[in-house]
Amino acid sequence: MSQALDRQFLLDSRGTSRELGAFVVGAAFHQAGGAAGFALGDGTLRLASSNPATDWQTVEAHDGAVLAIAADARPGFVSGGDDGRFLRIGLDGTITEVARFGSKWVEHAAAFADAKTGVLACGVGKIVHLFTAAGEPLKTLAHPSTVTGLAFDGKGKRVAASHYNGCSLWFVAAKTDSPRILEWKGSHTGIVLHPAAEAVVTSMQENALHGWRLSDGQHMRMSGYPSKTESMSFTRNGKWLATAGAESIVLWPFFGGGPMGKAPTELAGGDNVLCTRVACHPQHEAVAAGFSDGLVAMADIPTGRILPVAPPGRGPVSALAWSPDGSRLALGTETGFAALIDFTPR
Amino acid sequence: MSDTLVPVTVLTGYLGAGKTTLLNRILSENHGRKYAVIINEFGELGVDNDLVVDADEEVFEMNNGCVCCTVRGDLIRIVGGLMKRKGGLDGIIIETTGLANPAPVAQTFFVDDNVRARTRLDAIVTVVDAKHLLARLEDSHEAEEQVAFADVIVLNKTDLVTPEELDAVEARIRGINRFAQIHRTSRAAVPIGHVLDQGAFDLARVLEREPGFLDSDEHSHSDQVISMSFEAKRPIDPEKFNAWIGTLLAEKGQDMLRTKGILAYAGDDRRFAFQAVHMIADGGFIGPWAPGAERTSKIVFIGRNLNRPQLRRGFEACQAGVSQAMASHVGATTA
Repeated sequence: MSQALDRQFLLDSRGTSRELGAFVVGAAFHQAGGAAGFALGDGTLRLASSNPATDWQTVEAHDGAVLAIAADARPGFVSGGDDGRFLRIGLDGTITEVARFGSKWVEHAAAFADAKTGVLACGVGKIVHLFTAAGEPLKTLAHPSTVTGLAFDGKGKRVAASHYNGCSLWFVAAKTDSPRILEWKGSHTGIVLHPAAEAVVTSMQENALHGWRLSDGQHMRMSGYPSKTESMSFTRNGKWLATAGAESIVLWPFFGGGPMGKAPTELAGGDNVLCTRVACHPQHEAVAAGFSDGLVAMADIPTGRILPVAPPGRGPVSALAWSPDGSRLALGTETGFAALIDFTPR
Repeated sequence: MSDTLVPVTVLTGYLGAGKTTLLNRILSENHGRKYAVIINEFGELGVDNDLVVDADEEVFEMNNGCVCCTVRGDLIRIVGGLMKRKGGLDGIIIETTGLANPAPVAQTFFVDDNVRARTRLDAIVTVVDAKHLLARLEDSHEAEEQVAFADVIVLNKTDLVTPEELDAVEARIRGINRFAQIHRTSRAAVPIGHVLDQGAFDLARVLEREPGFLDSDEHSHSDQVISMSFEAKRPIDPEKFNAWIGTLLAEKGQDMLRTKGILAYAGDDRRFAFQAVHMIADGGFIGPWAPGAERTSKIVFIGRNLNRPQLRRGFEACQAGVSQAMASHVGATTA
């Protein structure tokens, strides 16, 4: 990157942005054509094609707030809302209802986007509902308390859900459904799986993370956060777990025996402002991070170099996502600002 | 600052007391204001509101070494979700199940930073059935705690009892919680203004409407809930108070359902408001004392197994200038 670029925010030179007027709950990219979807607190999805010159399409999807968005197994997105509906949204904006759950909120949505074996999942109360790529009900997985986080492993074989007193790991294709339950007392509020399925990590109510090494169930406790961690992301190679919840990007080492007994690496810190979202680059050992003042920065993990992406002042960052090829970053804030940043080499 | 926080009203009461009737009455009278209503899926009746959220009452224990620090995780999630919606809310009303202990709901609003940043607990409103309350209090700790925790008590179904019976019920309520506002009614016909926007948890209004100090020397026998209050005329030493209340709540927090106080700290012209639910305490400076007004510190306890002389000595020993000997004497008697 040029010196000139280092001193300014990428948003100015390589960004497309919009004021969307509602809380940006989440963002996701779809592989096909690089389309981005933003989920909003006004119930709409906003779809942006890879061509920055075209308008963003508004899809009136949910009656209430959208609570979750993910890339669909087919071209498009899946979304859950506080209207109790789990939807798939085509790239052309067509809405297909996958399921409807009455007055229960659909708080989590996930999909394993593989054209052959694609699976859709949503979390509704204590139940995780799985659907085939065609949208047919596959199975329902029951948990002891409300599901607070949902994640597929890197191959789409397993799905993990966090809840009170631990988390549950399920095999998607198992004939009989009995989960591997990993226990730790307390309220677990989110979950992330190591890309090579070496570990699973949850965030907790008590401003700490809890992890389990999957080979032997060894516990890992990662604490010291000044606030709750609402966002976690493993680097592509699984070496680092990037986390929000502190006044810096907190990175836990998952190599050389794991994070136990080690201090985390902290990057982009020192501004008295909390990191609210993290998203690891899908190819490089780098992480994008959003902060409560609206700042978005990218950190190169090996060198610690920081690249400013978006300046503060547009509300706490509430959504951050990379396109699968790592060429574009989507960001959104609680006050309705959203942007796409182009990272392709020029 | 606190104006931007969404007020939360907690509606408790035993099954059949008339909670849902009251809720529907509030909602039907409430033209033009936007409320989110959080109900339990086993609610008695349908609720007529645009925004109704089904909740499972999911209580968990915080990992902070405090056994009575229980919190409702479902409320943390739901409040977080509601704050994402477009357009603000005028309030949130939480209806608990009949058997619910109110402590976890109240503690949720003390413990979770995200919830605290966006909402404030306005009042706990307990609906009781004039005909059946006395029997309920005999066989249920929860019924007693619902009365003990209340800021407002709607004494419902007064048409089903004689005036004498009604007085007896009210006297029993006063025995448990003498600081709550009581509204007598049949068919839950209470004006909204008596239920919503009470500011009962607003530190600035804690104790403001407290009735006179009718101290008697009744003791808490067995494990009945009672309430008592104390005053101190001399300014309070913050260090002594923190040490005393901290130890007291740590040791006896399970029995101390609610504690509220307005304190005159030595050398400070502002009033310090203190409150706690079990062991979880919160405090902060509120507006200044009125010019020329007598700066009397007051503290109120609602709980079980309260030892009046011990609490009185403990509180009085927090006054600035009271000798250490006195303070250590209190420490000795507590032990």
